[in-house]
Amino acid sequence: MEFVSPEGLRLDGRRPMEMRQIRAEIGAVSKADGSAIFEMGNTKVIAAVYGPREVQNRSQQISSHALVRCEYSMANFSTGDRMRKPKGDRRSTEISLVIRQTMEACILTHLLPRSQIDIYVQVLQADGGTRSACINAATLALADAGIPMRDFVTSCSAGYLNSTPLLDLNYVEDSAGGPDVTLGILPKLDKVTLFQMDSKLPIDILENVMQLAIEGCKAIASYIREILLENTNQLEYRRGV
Amino acid sequence: MGVPNASEDLSSEMEVDAFRRLFPLRFFERHLAESIRPDGRPLGKARETSIFLGAVASANGSALVKIGSTTMLTAIKMEVMTPSLEAPDEGCLAIDFHMPPICSPIVRPGRPAEASPVVSKQLSDTISSSRMIDLKDLSLVSGKAAWMAYLDVYCLDADGALFDAALLSAVAAISNLEIPAVAMNDDGKIVLVSDEDGQKRAQEPVNKEKRKLTLRSIPFSLTCILHKNYILADPTAEEESIMETHVTIVLDTSGQLISLYKPGGPVLAYTSAIQDCVAITRQRVKELKSFLDKENSAMEV
Repeated sequence: MEFVSPEGLRLDGRRPMEMRQIRAEIGAVSKADGSAIFEMGNTKVIAAVYGPREVQNRSQQISSHALVRCEYSMANFSTGDRMRKPKGDRRSTEISLVIRQTMEACILTHLLPRSQIDIYVQVLQADGGTRSACINAATLALADAGIPMRDFVTSCSAGYLNSTPLLDLNYVEDSAGGPDVTLGILPKLDKVTLFQMDSKLPIDILENVMQLAIEGCKAIASYIREILLENTNQLEYRRGV
Repeated sequence: MGVPNASEDLSSEMEVDAFRRLFPLRFFERHLAESIRPDGRPLGKARETSIFLGAVASANGSALVKIGSTTMLTAIKMEVMTPSLEAPDEGCLAIDFHMPPICSPIVRPGRPAEASPVVSKQLSDTISSSRMIDLKDLSLVSGKAAWMAYLDVYCLDADGALFDAALLSAVAAISNLEIPAVAMNDDGKIVLVSDEDGQKRAQEPVNKEKRKLTLRSIPFSLTCILHKNYILADPTAEEESIMETHVTIVLDTSGQLISLYKPGGPVLAYTSAIQDCVAITRQRVKELKSFLDKENSAMEV
């Protein structure tokens, strides 16, 4: 099947280096300490952060750090066919672990000992790149909750089909069987915190694909920065500053 | 309260927020004495409601409903199934209510919230007893194929009056439902018809056009809290946690009472209190019906 036409257009009309349209909103869940909605094309994700709060299970309390927990779940209607088991299945558990470890790398946990930070992510619509959308949404939600972080974590996926590196795969491109690279970086510190790849890819091409993903991440980082700045302006305005 | 004088002394010196946390009942009663609530609403008024149809593009019908901060997202997915032997020309509607951990600080992952199965059961009972949908409308080929409609209600933000918001979003999603067009292929199996191919069509009742269900009577509800002599309509989560007696009344658009639910609680209600609740609910039902009609006609355009 042809994923990149001879004119250089993908199935949804994008260019190979073009990302889907992103949109983010802060403060979607009023009951949460911090929350955000993140959309990448048709993939829509809500993240809510509760914390820092008292550790629910005393035996898990860490005296020098905060405990970070994460749960990823997909709504029944998020995928094309209705899902029978939205959480507790292997994929959801793996993604929960990945998101937790990624966010733990950027939260200054030593500043909040003996407390718990809960990050919950709910996928409302899945069209490829859910992992990345969840990480981006979690970053915004943590910032909204005022939790001290070293830097944002932004994430983007990239692949290689029809001999072309492609940025931000959607579901069809993802299930094509080609390599799928998901990257998570701390943009200011220029460090990689998450790097996952499936399928086979020659090492020299890996460089290109990874570079493409890094640029995608940096673009998302500048968008996130804009959103947060605007949010802060709104807060100042409401406070009468 | 054990030491009323102490709290009186403290109350004159304390900040409002601290008083609200330490003496919630007194805080509310001070407001109720002036016939108002802390968020400024009069006692019988519900919060601002908004309905957004078609929120989930990939589902056959969906709605996002907000009552104040309480947010519910419902999506309906249809699948073809073989009907049961006892009801060969009826389809099936499966309603499920979920409270994911994002909605509230008291929901823990791995342990469903206490309210979740209660609201789930109330919702399926109300929708089936209101006879809003005729299950025969969901039949395709008698005895062989019928629609199974999975209705999933997700609570995205739990701020009181969960059942009201859940019912409203379920009803709105059903009114937004478009049944996909199907045809029978050569093996006698039902397949979805995409718009472009000219597949051969059997003499199906669900034929070329996508269909909408005809809804008979639409149920709407209102939850009220009873506290001493006051009746508070549409409580927030804070109000629900302090004053525990609540009454939920479900009326349909023709004014008939579909269900009345008062699950115990410290306040005993006289018939007059219940009648007052029904009167407030009647008002609310008219309001909700006009909202839903407005949204539906906006979708048609």
